[in-house]
Amino acid sequence: MSAIVDLVLGIVTSIGGFVEAGSISTAAQAGSEFGLQLLWAIAAATVMLALLVEMSGRLAAVSRRSLAAAVRERFGVHFQIVPLTAELLIDVLLLAAEIGGAAIAVKLLTGIGFQWWILPIGLVAWLVLWLCQFGVIEYGLGLLGLVTLAFVAAAWKLEPNVSAVGASLIPSLPTHHHTRYAFLAVSILGATVSPYLLNFYASGSIEEKLNESELWVNRTTAYVGMCFGGVVSMGALVTSAAVLQPRHIVVDSYEQAALMFVPAFGRWAVTLFAASLGIGCFGAAVELALNAGYTFAQVFGWSWGANKPRREAARFTAAFTIVLLASVAVGLIGFDPLRLTMLSVALTVVIMPLVVLPFLVLMNDEKYVKKHTSGVIGNAFLALLTVLGALLALVVVPLELLGG
Amino acid sequence: MNLVRDLLDKALVDRNGRDMGRVDRVVLDIRDGAPPRVAALEVGPAVLAHRLAPLAGRWAAALEHAFGVDEGRPLRIPVRDLLGIEDHVKVDLAFGDTAAATIEQRLRRWVGAIPRSS
Repeated sequence: MSAIVDLVLGIVTSIGGFVEAGSISTAAQAGSEFGLQLLWAIAAATVMLALLVEMSGRLAAVSRRSLAAAVRERFGVHFQIVPLTAELLIDVLLLAAEIGGAAIAVKLLTGIGFQWWILPIGLVAWLVLWLCQFGVIEYGLGLLGLVTLAFVAAAWKLEPNVSAVGASLIPSLPTHHHTRYAFLAVSILGATVSPYLLNFYASGSIEEKLNESELWVNRTTAYVGMCFGGVVSMGALVTSAAVLQPRHIVVDSYEQAALMFVPAFGRWAVTLFAASLGIGCFGAAVELALNAGYTFAQVFGWSWGANKPRREAARFTAAFTIVLLASVAVGLIGFDPLRLTMLSVALTVVIMPLVVLPFLVLMNDEKYVKKHTSGVIGNAFLALLTVLGALLALVVVPLELLGG
Repeated sequence: MNLVRDLLDKALVDRNGRDMGRVDRVVLDIRDGAPPRVAALEVGPAVLAHRLAPLAGRWAAALEHAFGVDEGRPLRIPVRDLLGIEDHVKVDLAFGDTAAATIEQRLRRWVGAIPRSS
């Protein structure tokens, strides 16, 4: 019975926690600029995320180690230092972008400039981390995040052409703006498959005491939860394509993205968009900060856990506090949250091979996962998409930054 | 035993199963005409940083000194204190009695001063 409850909660919170600043901004921009044409990128990235998340849970359940801890043990600190540093730097940027996204959401509701909300949102995120145990953080924020189903409801109300939606799941080349198209495809990949999610999911599985006999719960949660979560992201793209593209509205701010809800929800459009953006971004911000604490503690062998009194894991607590403070400081500099988000998610793809490829090695090492090694097809798909994505990102990110 | 694979960078726990850190360096005893022997394990950020670059190690040690947490650090654990090597490296010490706990204990005083920390 407990396993069934865990399964349902896991799936529901995966759906509620799927959408955040990166997925909303990339889907809104892709839809407004290329219609439905980039829907395949969300589908591919979602399959990739589901496979990786399932692997993270499997690693944790069988080896009782998170990804960060296993990489340190298996590959040593000389190997780990570069991807770890890159990932933490990008996580600080992503966290600043999530806090910025939540601040924009409050601005949409209050009319008061978003910069004024950066510090209060950072403080509330820290209070959640200080006061709440893992279950409350994960399930509470995930359940609140179900408001993001508004993207699916909006897409449904707009009655998109089902055959056009289906056809968009097959990759195709655009007739114009090839670099921008490639940049958005890369950004969608980076927004969906954030490397922090892998360590966060593994750490959460350890916090929840997932064991080898519950691998089916992990598998079902990962595949079903992530795939339905991907549908929410697709809802954002379909809504943007149906509303913004015909009106030639190109999304260069969250305020413009909010317009996509107007035909579906009328006077509730801004409120619903702000709630979806705000809760999605806030949930991701809390998870990112918590994962920073997990990562430091696991790499250095400190006591860690959101279920432990904060005093009992003081270095872990200090680590997530410092990372949160650093991100609030970046947010207070005043970068445009949307641009910061797009930069962070694109850079994520550049470092992805450094995270995913060692992970694949671990998942084929029987010392860690015993008989539960990964299959050839999954390994090949993940390795191919990771390397192709990174190569594409290395080409298009500089071009986009120079051009933009 | 392969020292790099089976010992270096492994999690270190005390006799009560408390996290003490990771094996940041393995100290070997090298004598003429005899095979090298593991003499001790070392734990601490300065040791870890030194492995990456000697300059980084000196900076880390200087930082520890500046913050007044360098006494007895890095922690050197003689090989006779090893209880076993399985998933973790277990040693016959109590974490709180060693210099590995200095920073944790210092931070606990600060964290403990904030309401609802325990």
